[in-house]
Amino acid sequence: MTNANESPLISVRNLEKHFGDMKVLKGITVDINKGDVVCVIGPSGSGKSTFLRCLNRLDEPTGGEIIFDGVNILDPATDIDLHRQKMGMVFQQFNLFPHMSIMKNLTIAPMTLQKKSKEEAEGYAYELLERVGLKNRALDYPLQLSGGQQQRIAIVRALCMKPEVMLFDEPTSALDPEMVGEVLEVMKELADEHMTMVVVTHEMGFAREVASRVMFLDGGDFLEENEPKEFFANPQNDRLKEFLGKVL
Amino acid sequence: MFEQYISIFQQEFINNFIKEDRWRYLTNGLLVTLKLTFFAVLLGLVIGFTIAIIRNVHDNTGKLGFLNFLCNLYLTVIRGTPVVVQLMIIYFVIFGSVRIDKALTAILAFGINSGAYQAEIFRAGIQSIPRGQMEAGRSLGFSYFQTMTKIIMPQALKNVIPTLLNEVITLLKETSVAGYIALEDLTKGGDIIRSRTYSAFMPLIAVALIYLIMVLILERIVKLIERRLSKNDKR
Repeated sequence: MTNANESPLISVRNLEKHFGDMKVLKGITVDINKGDVVCVIGPSGSGKSTFLRCLNRLDEPTGGEIIFDGVNILDPATDIDLHRQKMGMVFQQFNLFPHMSIMKNLTIAPMTLQKKSKEEAEGYAYELLERVGLKNRALDYPLQLSGGQQQRIAIVRALCMKPEVMLFDEPTSALDPEMVGEVLEVMKELADEHMTMVVVTHEMGFAREVASRVMFLDGGDFLEENEPKEFFANPQNDRLKEFLGKVL
Repeated sequence: MFEQYISIFQQEFINNFIKEDRWRYLTNGLLVTLKLTFFAVLLGLVIGFTIAIIRNVHDNTGKLGFLNFLCNLYLTVIRGTPVVVQLMIIYFVIFGSVRIDKALTAILAFGINSGAYQAEIFRAGIQSIPRGQMEAGRSLGFSYFQTMTKIIMPQALKNVIPTLLNEVITLLKETSVAGYIALEDLTKGGDIIRSRTYSAFMPLIAVALIYLIMVLILERIVKLIERRLSKNDKR
């Protein structure tokens, strides 16, 4: 899918984020191309989630540029709401809307923001629900579902907006171990369909198997990046070696 | 001996309530009290809701600094002074030189007072919704305002209903100071009877009982609604 002549989908330049005196991101520069499945790994507190949340400005970066679809979305003049419609996000805590049925969760954004008709929005939602095996739960409420089911719904909710990129913020960290697999499976299918994905994760198996690039973030910057096989088999950076030694 | 008490009681009762249709002071007074409470709660609802939104916007975006300052000033002053004093200031100072309906003045005073407390109730309700709900809404592309109205508020309002009804109960009792501006509410009604008959026991106990019954009814409603709401939670 990746075309060398094509400009990157997301181009991050010198991204900085400070919380008070603490510099969480220290001038990150990275390109994410269409079809990339980027897994970001690193110790806790390294800034992985902050990096991801800066990509759609849920955390407001302190400095730098993020060019998405040819537009610098950090420019105060850009309508961030419009760009967020093209960037799906999946959270560690699912964050489904508990007062709405599953179907309403899936259709409210397309119907409100993209002016889709009810039939069209529901039709597409059912299609996606079918693919994650939850079509029969459309009329239930989020809290009636297991964690794994809720997270699959959360992925579908983001997909219903037909985003150009999906951001995953530790999507399996809040799940019981037996439910991790079903969520990773859905993500793997997405990757197989060449969805552009940025995944912050602790699932090394997933990174090794599914990622097209794995990046190691520590101390506020990317210290190493490689394709997964080399990354895990032949790490160069000492901190990465130490980290992999602990988690593998 | 016992019969003697009964006969005194009967006499007192007739004297205080039946004679010259004195019971009307209580029923008319009750109507005034209910009217005051109802409209003051409504006014307080509007004020409280608006203030909660302004303060929430300020907390989250840093905008509306001046409005937020005014809200804080209002909350500090209203919650830091007695409602009777506020009532008298509004009637004798602010509207001192204008002829204005007493009931309207009282509704304004109690509404403005209740608004301060309802603002805090709404604010707590909004804050009770996990931050992830706002983030999920924004990440889909909803604006702050859309997320607020479609996702945060429906959940927050539901959480807030029982507390809000308790505020109604509080306000019902607080309006008993309306007599300070010579408004004939339930309490004042009982007091007028007392001044006519020179007996305090009957009219005051009657007034107390009526308040108590009102409060018990309202509490009953709160319980019913709470149960209904928690049923929805399990789903």
